[in-house]
Amino acid sequence: MNKGKHLAIFIMIAIICPLMTSCFDAKEVDDLGFVIALGLDRGKTNELLMTLQIAKPMASNNGGGGGKEDELPYATFSVEAPTMVSGLNMINTFASKQITLSHIKVVVFSSELARDGLGPYLHALIRGREFRPNMPIVVARNTAEEYLQSVDPKLVLNAAKYYELVYQSYRYTGLIPKVEFHDFYLAAESMCRNPVAILGDASKFESAEEFDIENSTYLEHGRSAPLEGDFLAGDIPAVGGARAENIGIAVFDGDTMVGELDGTDTTYHLLCTGDFVHSYWTIPDPLSEGDYVLFDVKQSRRPQHRVEIVDGKPVIHVTLNLEGDLVSVQSGIDYESGERSLLLESAMESYVKKEVSGYLDKTIREFKSDICGFGAQARGLFLTWAEWEAYQWNKRYKDATYTVNANFKIRRPGLILRSKSSISSESESDEQ
Amino acid sequence: MECEYRVDIKKTIKNLLFFHEPRVERPFILTEVSREGEYGPGLAKAREKPRRKKNENLLLEKIEKAKLTGKKESQADEKAPDISRQLSENLEVIEERFSVPLNGDLIIRKFDIAVKDSVIAAFMVFFDGLVNNKVIDDDILQPLMLLSNLDIRSDGDDLLIYIRSHILPHNQLKEVRTHQEVIDTVFFGGCGIYIDGLDTAFAADVKEFPGRTVERPNTELVIRGPQEGFTESLRANTGLIRKRLMDQNLIAEDIIIGKRSKTPCSILYIRDIANDSLVAEVRRRLKSIEADHIMDTGELEQYIEDNPALPIPQVMATERPDRVCSMLADGRVAIVMHGSPFALVVPITNSDILHSAEDQFLRFPYSNLLRGIRILAILVSLLLPAIFLAITNYHHEMIPTDLLLAILSAREKVPFPSVVEVFLMEISFELIREAGIRIPGPIGPTLGIIGALILGQAAVEANIVSPILIIIVAVTGLGSFAIPNFSTGFAFRILRFGFIILAALSGFLGITAGLMLLGFWMVNSKSFGVPFVSPVAPRAKGGFSDAVFKSPVWNQEKRPDFMNAKKDSKQAEISRGWINRGSSGRQPDGGDRNE
Repeated sequence: MNKGKHLAIFIMIAIICPLMTSCFDAKEVDDLGFVIALGLDRGKTNELLMTLQIAKPMASNNGGGGGKEDELPYATFSVEAPTMVSGLNMINTFASKQITLSHIKVVVFSSELARDGLGPYLHALIRGREFRPNMPIVVARNTAEEYLQSVDPKLVLNAAKYYELVYQSYRYTGLIPKVEFHDFYLAAESMCRNPVAILGDASKFESAEEFDIENSTYLEHGRSAPLEGDFLAGDIPAVGGARAENIGIAVFDGDTMVGELDGTDTTYHLLCTGDFVHSYWTIPDPLSEGDYVLFDVKQSRRPQHRVEIVDGKPVIHVTLNLEGDLVSVQSGIDYESGERSLLLESAMESYVKKEVSGYLDKTIREFKSDICGFGAQARGLFLTWAEWEAYQWNKRYKDATYTVNANFKIRRPGLILRSKSSISSESESDEQ
Repeated sequence: MECEYRVDIKKTIKNLLFFHEPRVERPFILTEVSREGEYGPGLAKAREKPRRKKNENLLLEKIEKAKLTGKKESQADEKAPDISRQLSENLEVIEERFSVPLNGDLIIRKFDIAVKDSVIAAFMVFFDGLVNNKVIDDDILQPLMLLSNLDIRSDGDDLLIYIRSHILPHNQLKEVRTHQEVIDTVFFGGCGIYIDGLDTAFAADVKEFPGRTVERPNTELVIRGPQEGFTESLRANTGLIRKRLMDQNLIAEDIIIGKRSKTPCSILYIRDIANDSLVAEVRRRLKSIEADHIMDTGELEQYIEDNPALPIPQVMATERPDRVCSMLADGRVAIVMHGSPFALVVPITNSDILHSAEDQFLRFPYSNLLRGIRILAILVSLLLPAIFLAITNYHHEMIPTDLLLAILSAREKVPFPSVVEVFLMEISFELIREAGIRIPGPIGPTLGIIGALILGQAAVEANIVSPILIIIVAVTGLGSFAIPNFSTGFAFRILRFGFIILAALSGFLGITAGLMLLGFWMVNSKSFGVPFVSPVAPRAKGGFSDAVFKSPVWNQEKRPDFMNAKKDSKQAEISRGWINRGSSGRQPDGGDRNE
């Protein structure tokens, strides 16, 4: 009997103890407002202008009214506040649901803010446990507010999904860098590399009539016409879909933005860091002036970095290993055959060397910022940490010289085994 | 009074919080036996018994022996012959013991036997309805009354021997010397024959119980494999087992359970495989039961199991003879009871409750697929509602945003917290399930409609629950039906509610704590001396070939080590003789040469 009593009391205590907590932390899903995007601008009246996109529950399909135009998938809130957290507090005063950041998909900074230094905001982001470490960081060339509003809810049915997918496009376009917040933060604090952010902006074109290529960077690259990557965000002559454009890199030195790179240079950046997956490249035909050869380029092996220090100055050796499939030969020359394919490969190699050199030149001379992370290799040259610290890599990077070595192999000619120029009365050859 | 009570609580709390010397108990341990490998002698030599164990074994045997002899003596006192040579005295005793005028179905038939010129009075007693009347008429009454006049050559004068060896042609005839034995036989469908002048009575087995014939088992249906199930009759059941397991060492030991009900049971085991101490323990537990009536193995199970509080069953109840046979072949012990279509098999481990009878008959990839699905079913049935609650209440960041938004919009109009929602649905599901079993057959379909309407559509349309929850509850229900063992299904249904509460209180932390507690509990329990989670903990050799996943049947060479069976291996290292050309078997080389 005594044993039974003990057991009863033990069970009572065991049951009552957890009941005292009474679902202390529990929050029902429908009591929360999930922020999917956060934009930060310099405020007019205060330090910050915060723009929040908060997901609305999907409209229930009863009645089947079809396109309810006023039914947006998210609500936008803006508030001017001294800090990020106080801004959230202020929004909570009028938003009915408690704001939570655990599903945030992107943080957008305006370039004005980025050029002044993101330090104070980065610390708040890394400390807050609600921020996801893998969210991308975007720098809007104009204002973050405009950028977020340009993700047009009418065309983008599910904004959260839009953000999830659009920043993954580096895998198949190579026109935006791979950016994850935790990596951005580490790079900003690091002594051997500097961070980059995705460059984004709302398109400046409303309709096809307004198209121009004034702001294209093709002249800088020494081309007669712009290739697909020769643009900065907002300048692409395109309409339709979301007006927000993401192309190019915002280059940082520490936590301060120092410059912009266009889409083409972004590809070379991905090549140098090893994040490149695959994309289509258009290169000038080595045998036929004015024509282009299209490749589906992959990285066959990660790039090899080697760093020496000669007379106190860094010397960087980069070896790139690429392979590609022929997608299109406009001139109709049969590059599939042995001799010519070697010729094309070497032409591609020298093209890559030249272009990547141009990109490295920019990071060294123009931005003085090691965004490729060559410093990680340089670290190994020092015997003690104190020596490495004393060397001050980030300051010496501007004196660096480099060599670029590229290996390129053509793997497959696509579905055509042998090109033949189309037979017609004119000798003009056509695309195959 | 109140003060006293407070002191008591203080003491109790102290008792709970501070360390005590654990009480020394002597639990049942499955003693190891020296094993001879029937296939390959090397194995038995390699595994040498530690000496200490040996001594322990001896000691245990001694204790066991002492107990047995002691018991025999006491039983001998009970069974002193009490049948009188006077028929009338015997008749009086029988009439008194069977409360004759009250019992309507008891038949006492008086008759005379003509033996060699003399006429001897006799009577027989049996219950109408338990016996085969034709057998009584043809094989007992007719020879005694009519055929005894035949001129039978015999030299002995002993009437008893004369009757037994010449007059009664019935095949199952026992000579008994106590009334009690006669009465027990009569209750088990026999008839007792008393003859004047003999202090011995005959107990003839003429039983024919009303009951089912052998049918398909109801709970453990298989597609591939035998389709016979046990019935309610003991001998038919042991017959079904013997029919499959034609092993001369298969023992069916009889034992009577229930002080008043005197239900006959059989302990079945294979003598040279099953561990002796295990058989002795089963016998000891069964014999020790002091209860008036035990009607079914479902009751019996509760008397002999090790941990009554553990939700998961520690005794396997099965309706299938083939299942019992294969478990007997592993060195386990089965208990069959008169009146129950379920046999009990001990000991079992937690992996046995994952197995279905069909696993054995399917090729190993197929049964592994089924095993995988069953593990999933158990996880789903145990944890799915709890995980749903934990995620929607505590860990919103864990699910994809789209799913979160879908849940959010589904819950938008629901007025209850999600815990209430889950409980509401789980309880109504349990209601439907219970009602479905109790509902009379012809109106069964109505229930389906009500269930589908209430749970499916109406609850969602009335915004009482969210549609996602319906999916959760439905999948959970499916999961619990996919668990092959009926009792285990119950266990996980109960535990599920525990996990829901834990998840509601503290999310994944609670679920983790619950899983840990359940794990401790299971690791701590034993089924007839076998740790419940072996071969995983404690680690045992040889149990893995058919524990969670199954290896091909020709690869299952060893009996599970934790069973401590007398024979270690159940097939040769290379059981498929034909894969070795020129080894045993047909010697294909020689055949080739002849050609």
